Amino acid sequence: MAPLFLFGLLLALLFLGVPVGLALGLSSVLYVALFTTDSLSSVAISLFGVGTHYTLLAIPFFILASAFMSTGGVAQRLIRFAIAVVGSFRGGLAMASVLACMMFAALSGSSPATVVAIGTIAIAGMRQVGYSKEFASGIVANAGTLGILIPPSIVMVVYAASVDVSVGRMFLAGVVPGLLAGAMLMLAIYVVARIKKLPAEPWRGIGEVLTAAKEAFWGLFLIVIIMGGIYGGVFTPTEAAAAAAVYSAIVALFIYRDIGPLKGIPWANASDDSLTRVGFKGVVYGFSFYAVFSILAFFAVGPAVQGGQTPHGWGMVLGALVALAYMIWRGPGVAPLQLARACAGGFRVLGRNFWMMLRQARPVIMGEDSRGVVLEAAKTTVMLMFIIANALLFAHTLTTERIPQTITEWMLDAGFNWFTFLIAVNVLLLIGGQFMEPSGLLLIVAPVVFPIGMELGVDPIHLGIIMVVNMEIGMITPPIGLNLFVTSGITGMSLDRVVRAALPFVGVLMLFLILVTYVPELSTWLPYAVMGPEIVTQ
Amino acid sequence: MTLWPHALLLLLIVALFVWERYAADTVNRLEENLLVLLLSLITLVSFGQVVARYMFNTGWAAALEFVMACFSWMILFGMAYGLKRGVHLGVDVALKRFPAGLGRWVAMGGAASGAVYALLLLDATWLSWFGVDTRSGAIDYWSKMYKINIGAEELRWPTWLHESMGWKDRVPRWLVLLALPISLALLAFRSLQAMVAIYRGERAMVIAGHEAEELVQQNQGVLKDN
Repeated sequence: MAPLFLFGLLLALLFLGVPVGLALGLSSVLYVALFTTDSLSSVAISLFGVGTHYTLLAIPFFILASAFMSTGGVAQRLIRFAIAVVGSFRGGLAMASVLACMMFAALSGSSPATVVAIGTIAIAGMRQVGYSKEFASGIVANAGTLGILIPPSIVMVVYAASVDVSVGRMFLAGVVPGLLAGAMLMLAIYVVARIKKLPAEPWRGIGEVLTAAKEAFWGLFLIVIIMGGIYGGVFTPTEAAAAAAVYSAIVALFIYRDIGPLKGIPWANASDDSLTRVGFKGVVYGFSFYAVFSILAFFAVGPAVQGGQTPHGWGMVLGALVALAYMIWRGPGVAPLQLARACAGGFRVLGRNFWMMLRQARPVIMGEDSRGVVLEAAKTTVMLMFIIANALLFAHTLTTERIPQTITEWMLDAGFNWFTFLIAVNVLLLIGGQFMEPSGLLLIVAPVVFPIGMELGVDPIHLGIIMVVNMEIGMITPPIGLNLFVTSGITGMSLDRVVRAALPFVGVLMLFLILVTYVPELSTWLPYAVMGPEIVTQ
Repeated sequence: MTLWPHALLLLLIVALFVWERYAADTVNRLEENLLVLLLSLITLVSFGQVVARYMFNTGWAAALEFVMACFSWMILFGMAYGLKRGVHLGVDVALKRFPAGLGRWVAMGGAASGAVYALLLLDATWLSWFGVDTRSGAIDYWSKMYKINIGAEELRWPTWLHESMGWKDRVPRWLVLLALPISLALLAFRSLQAMVAIYRGERAMVIAGHEAEELVQQNQGVLKDN
């Protein structure tokens, strides 16, 4: 009777328009007050304790990184790169949108942000070359869901925190399924494009690929910082997230200069002559090479305090060679005097930029634009953490009432095996995903299904990936599909039209869900190969 | 049973109410700045720790405790701020289908639930008026901490400060915990405010139908062409 009260109250509150976090919290608080002898101060203090959850601390940092990456031109640069790579296939623009969504997902981890950032540019582009509006928006709505599957992903952090598995493993486990889902979507597009005779972009040559890659590089390098830092053993996932947030801010404010007082100020002025420009580019390539080399080497050999020796000398020599080679190739050739002048010009431009950035540092960092970005991130964090905090209260109430154990016994008695159990999990999550915010749902469902899964020999990482994929599908199925709302909002199409437009590709994702559910190797192969088998301590 | 913390909280809320009547924008800006400051602090301190450890082989022993306290403060203050600005997610499908009059009362109930939640967690004694056997809450816990006055685990005052003021060197735990009763009181206040606003028809509901409402509003129909 008492557990029924708990769930009944939760559902009733949810449908009466109580905020999700409050519905979770209030039903557990009332339950504790009415049915147990526990004091409410312990509940209140556990609310304070959510902030002391070290794993969850990664969430605000990832949100902040994503907020800075979503400003301005990063999406534009990624799309250009994606078009350069896959644009020349039939249906190339659509495939490029999927690829751009995948890359953006790796930077942002937020699905609605992905849909808005990529969608506003990509859908317009596709319409121009004659794709139907339905086709274009259906693709972006679906590809946008990859945000929570491709690491870093906030939903994965939440899962890892709730069942005590490693965040690093979850991130690795998402890589192969994420690539597969993207590939499946692109394949479906290719087939449709062949049948409907959709146009292809002209192949612009390897030069365009390289130029576009160079433009997108500083954004994409974020992935290397996060993943390399975690798997090189230099960062904990939380520290990696903090580094990612700081890095994204620097890239958005100082390197790309998409927002803030430096917006629109080019690195090289129009007044600089061509020799100076070549020199500047060469110097920048050299420095960039050195920086990237050093960071990668640092991740590979580990920090000096742990006995690692980062080969800075080699980095400098190689960087200088890169700079020299570029200048010889592009500029004056092997003429020492000219080379020296180019070099000097390059350093002059670089120095000018650094001096300006230093002088402007305070307004750039403390300015209204960056305050706005941080505030947006803070709002999202607050919204998400309120749900997570209360979902943890709810899950705690469930566990102290031994409800998961009861359900486990019941399911084992009913003769569930891993195959039927996973079907049950999928159905439960697909239904729940219609009404609940992903992290909240996950925190309620995970403590219940996790013990059963372990009992039936399901890999904990695999179970996590199944849950994430279910959440993805929940975002593009009515009535409460976040990506549907967003797509409908930006395109001005009615919700029904968006639902129908997305439907064929939802079919593809369903197929993908079945694959992920019954081929555990897709999720477990990479984390096992990199980090060894999982040891479950329950 | 001490009642002065209750009185102080009430006083705080009344003061806020009055202040907001005259300078709503200032309060708003202040709340936002607090959130921005806390988020920036946890990011910079966490990142700074990594840099300090690897580049200078040093660190601040209390960094983790500091960051986590800030994070808790952010979450707690944020819940009241979120209710005020309507950023908290909810299911609005059913709510939108109610007839207008009934819908308003249901939406008010949604707002009221925030006050019930906050007041229960603040001090659940009032529930015993309804014959429920329960007690204590955040204020109770906080008063105990204040009375015994133990320090935080690692977090210390700067030396010059505690020496010149004659304090204990460790930051008292009640100070760290202060965010809990204050934020709960704020949450109750914001809920009641929202209730009044809904009753007057200034606001439709306390919830956001989905996470990206603001984002969509900014980009509303940018691709619309027919």
